[in-house]
Amino acid sequence: MQKRNTYTQIEDFLSDESFQSWVLLKIDQDGWEEWTLENRHRAKLVQDARHLLLAMKVPESNLSKLDIQKALQNTWRKIEEKENQILFSKNAGTKFFKNYFLTGIAASLFFCLLSIWYYENHFPSDNVVTYKELIAENSEGLVEQTNNSNNPQIITLSDGSSVLLQPNSKLSYPKIFTGNERKVYLSGEGFFEISKNPKKPFFVYANEIVTKVVGTSFRVKAFSDQPDVEVLVRTGKVKVKSNDLVTKSNQEEVVLLPNQALRFVRNDLKFNKITNITQDKELRESVGNIEQLSFEFSDIPVSQIFETIEQAYQVKIDYPKNKLKDCHLTTSLSDQPLPEKLKIVCKSISAETNFEMNGNQVIITSQGCN
Amino acid sequence: MKTPTLLFNVVDDNTLWNNLKEGDEKSFSMLFERYYADLVRYGNSLSPFEEKVQDCIQDVFTDIWIYRNTLQNSVVVKAYLLSSVRKRIARLHERDHIFRKTASTDSIAFLLEFSVDHELLEEADDDAKEKLIHLNKLLNDLPGRQKEAIYLRYHQGLNVEQIAEMLNVNYQSASNLLHRGLMTLRREWKGSFSLLLLLSATSF
Repeated sequence: MQKRNTYTQIEDFLSDESFQSWVLLKIDQDGWEEWTLENRHRAKLVQDARHLLLAMKVPESNLSKLDIQKALQNTWRKIEEKENQILFSKNAGTKFFKNYFLTGIAASLFFCLLSIWYYENHFPSDNVVTYKELIAENSEGLVEQTNNSNNPQIITLSDGSSVLLQPNSKLSYPKIFTGNERKVYLSGEGFFEISKNPKKPFFVYANEIVTKVVGTSFRVKAFSDQPDVEVLVRTGKVKVKSNDLVTKSNQEEVVLLPNQALRFVRNDLKFNKITNITQDKELRESVGNIEQLSFEFSDIPVSQIFETIEQAYQVKIDYPKNKLKDCHLTTSLSDQPLPEKLKIVCKSISAETNFEMNGNQVIITSQGCN
Repeated sequence: MKTPTLLFNVVDDNTLWNNLKEGDEKSFSMLFERYYADLVRYGNSLSPFEEKVQDCIQDVFTDIWIYRNTLQNSVVVKAYLLSSVRKRIARLHERDHIFRKTASTDSIAFLLEFSVDHELLEEADDDAKEKLIHLNKLLNDLPGRQKEAIYLRYHQGLNVEQIAEMLNVNYQSASNLLHRGLMTLRREWKGSFSLLLLLSATSF
């Protein structure tokens, strides 16, 4: 503070912070009061400087602490905005190379997410279970039947169940069902009529879903190139759940009753239950022959029953027309697979009436009705 | 007049500045809180549009944070901030149609009016009061740039070099600005002061 002894101008005092604080804030840290009184000439100079300072007052800030805090928050918001702007502007890199790294990370992250999103949406193969994969899962010797014709084909399984396989569809099944389960694998569309056996539940594996039944009739439509899998129930009760191979899906089970259907959206593994199939345009239009035909017969000529079966299962039935021309039957065949239907019809005609199935050919041997 | 210059800062500007450069948000906020009000006041003396001034100042801080990696190490923080605010407002003047009348950067007017601090005047006599009012009028009648130089020198504590840089002139010109201002003041003042002395002498 000895510097002040050399002060000769008012300016010297004005720019002295200690002097300013003494005049304006009345904080006399350096003993200005005393120092001023030491010298008369000095006192005059100090007073002039003091007066000048007092005549130079600037308006006080009218900003409160709160105003400043608000401004600070606003500034952080501006920073954020600008940073985002820079991040997404093309010439960001040229302007500040040091942010390259972060920008790079952000960009790659962005593209990662973008590709994941794209992949999820456009290549849903991750969640998709194909027929091939399903077959590979099964170690039992499977028989595969493919329908490349334009007409439905009937497949009779070892347990007496029948499957009406639609064109462009495949079914793999074991020659003989062993163990406690009956498992078949479907690609495409098939109408299943399962012989009742509560001890051996029947499973249809089709794409991502598994349909479990004990004995009933239902249709499964599961083409690998279509976005949905459909299950439509005609008789009995059916349980549908997603395949364990689809890890992401929850293991909920959907129970379907007659004339209920389910549409499984493969993309997002969602079950859509349709309780009224007549209101679903797609389902209504795709109803096949077999589902429309009634198998409730009351005093109907056998020939007509055979004709109905032929129509429904796209089979050819050979029977001794003359011997059976006067035979009439009253029976309900709705809930039965083809072999069962034939068996019931045969036994109803007479104990000696038998049938033989050979692919699409059914041969009935009979000596006439009782 | 509680300019932050007169307060004893707990952490000095340069420490905060360097921390800020390292990415310390707290230091940034502290500097902001320390200088914001002061910068607003200075900005308001350059532009009558208060909201725009605050916007400019916030933009200055925004840029400081965003371009913190390229900031220089040794700066007088206050001078840097004042200078940035001035440039920003000048740029706004150039761009904004409201300011079209003012042609160039250098011609932004220093609008601040000095006032008299009556409260701090210990002398209760009217003479002293009159003297202050007279001084104040002399100060306010100075050309804008001289006034601004005085303001920056004595209110913001900048040295001549920093003022020269801010006002975009060389050292000598800045020195002249300051000097001329005070010379005029002193000349006028001495005249009236001697009169004052004479008057006061007769009163004894």
